[in-house]
Amino acid sequence: MRQLGSWAARAGMGFVRACVVAVVGMLVPAVWAGAVALGIWWGAGNPWSWLAPVVLVTVGTPALSRPVCRTVRFLVARWTGTVVPAGYREAPPVMRMSTGHWWNGFTYESSSRDALMDQKWRVRWNDPATWRDLRFMGILPFTAGVVACLPPAGAVVAAFGLSRSDPAARLAGALGLVVAVAGAPYAWRVLDPVAVRFLRPSAAMAMADRVEELTAQRVDTTIAQAAEIRRIERDLHDGAQARMVALGLSLATAEKLMETNPEQAKALMREARVDAATSITELRGLIQGISPPVLSERGLAEAVRALALDSPLDVAVSADPRLRLDAPIESAVYFGVAELLTNALKHARASRARVSLAWDGVGIVVEIEDDGGGGAEARPGGGLAGLRRRLAVFDGTLEITSPAGGPTRVRMAVPCESL
Amino acid sequence: MRIVVAEDLYLLRDGMVRLIEAYGHQVVATAATGPETLDALRTWRPDVSVVDVRMPPTQSDEGLRAALAARAEMPGLPVLILSQHVHQMYARELLADGSGGVGYLLKESVFEADQFIGALERVADGGTAMDPAVIAKLLSSNSPNRALKGLTEREHSVLGLMAEGLSNQAIGRRLFLSDSAVSKYTTSMFGKLGIAADDDSNRRILAVLTYLNSL
Repeated sequence: MRQLGSWAARAGMGFVRACVVAVVGMLVPAVWAGAVALGIWWGAGNPWSWLAPVVLVTVGTPALSRPVCRTVRFLVARWTGTVVPAGYREAPPVMRMSTGHWWNGFTYESSSRDALMDQKWRVRWNDPATWRDLRFMGILPFTAGVVACLPPAGAVVAAFGLSRSDPAARLAGALGLVVAVAGAPYAWRVLDPVAVRFLRPSAAMAMADRVEELTAQRVDTTIAQAAEIRRIERDLHDGAQARMVALGLSLATAEKLMETNPEQAKALMREARVDAATSITELRGLIQGISPPVLSERGLAEAVRALALDSPLDVAVSADPRLRLDAPIESAVYFGVAELLTNALKHARASRARVSLAWDGVGIVVEIEDDGGGGAEARPGGGLAGLRRRLAVFDGTLEITSPAGGPTRVRMAVPCESL
Repeated sequence: MRIVVAEDLYLLRDGMVRLIEAYGHQVVATAATGPETLDALRTWRPDVSVVDVRMPPTQSDEGLRAALAARAEMPGLPVLILSQHVHQMYARELLADGSGGVGYLLKESVFEADQFIGALERVADGGTAMDPAVIAKLLSSNSPNRALKGLTEREHSVLGLMAEGLSNQAIGRRLFLSDSAVSKYTTSMFGKLGIAADDDSNRRILAVLTYLNSL
């Protein structure tokens, strides 16, 4: 009984969805049919009778294409969860030039309204997505549109046929009922594959998006690299270099005082030795931040193990020690793990953590879980957002699941070869 | 003592040889690569050797590997590892065989020449010399080991110095304590940690390190 109920619910929902798809899919053919009807109504004798239908079709189809495609994408995402990216081109900003005119990326206009209007049409005309949408207007009615029309059409036939008394009409009505009821749960589903196949951005459009993404990443990387070099320069300049100067000075003075005041000379030399030791400690810290020695000596898995040993957290590491990747990726992943363990300690106040590293055939996958308070998220300008950007340079991803109250699970994945 | 020095940077190697000879010990061989180190250790079986971690040809942990390989062939062969950086992980690997005669120090420990030569002699006698940086991490207050939390501050510092490889007398000198005060602290500390008290300082230090290592 319950099964029957749930089937009926599915059929009812499917019927409604099929009707929605039929309306959306048949909107443009309806305009075409209207145009043809108009032409016939005006009569073949009238030499202008073809003009209005042609105008109706040529203006109506493009005008409807974008709203219809948006609706299809929305419905598919809503019903099946399949996200079909739109890939429309964004208009560049319109700028006022020193001459007082407006530049919209294509032409100069005397007012910002004209510039925006001009830009809108140019962007639309040059956008491959516009032509893809238009092509979809020709495909949709004859695929998903037709199929989705079956259940409502069946219902209409059934309503008419079963209300008549002659057996032929009744038979047709019964058949219509069968089509309507049996087709209802399935007919709307055709929309999903059709949209995926024909509404997806083309290879060229995907390529254009990728170029844009890479350009943004390149800018990010360049900025990060420059900042890093400045930091190293500052650390060396204020730290080791200054200490070396002091060291030389102490030694020079000690040399001078050696004969006249050996006691003071000895004290100066002791000072010099302390200076040398301090600058070595500073340099060690700096080197650890640039390229951790254990990483170059032992590779990623062992370096993460060393990190776990040094962490005040109780960290369990599972990793294959033979795992070797390209040095830049190893470094990015290592610093990622270091940052996440620091976060677990400082922000989540965790006491235990688990790190696993594995190569899954496509790339390196690192999973980190702690028993802390959770609530971690990537805020703009924050550490996690920075980590995500650094991984993105290698097409890597960072996923964070961190409900308030914990636990926090973070997954880093970077596609790469295993060496 | 007959000593082998393995270090790839000429200036450091030369300086180390001069320092060791200034203290009246004999450097029988020097090595500048991993394979050379292993050869020298096999040929000379020195009383103690000073080995750098990172060496050619791979510039990875060649020196450490050579030392570990030599100790696997000749158990207890005294080795003092000198490095630009210290890691608990490497310390654990060196201590893993439990046979003593190992040291693991930062390179700048040669600045304190007396202490450095002292550590070298200790290692040659089958003792240990661990860098304070390694011990500090093993003993850090965030350590998951609960037993350590039961120690008083004094006992904690005595344990740290003992783990570095110092004898009771040396610990007393460092902390300005009398010998009897040090042994009082060590007895109560061993009781709390459940380590059998032992008069032989080497065995005692190894017990401490094994204990810390097992965390």
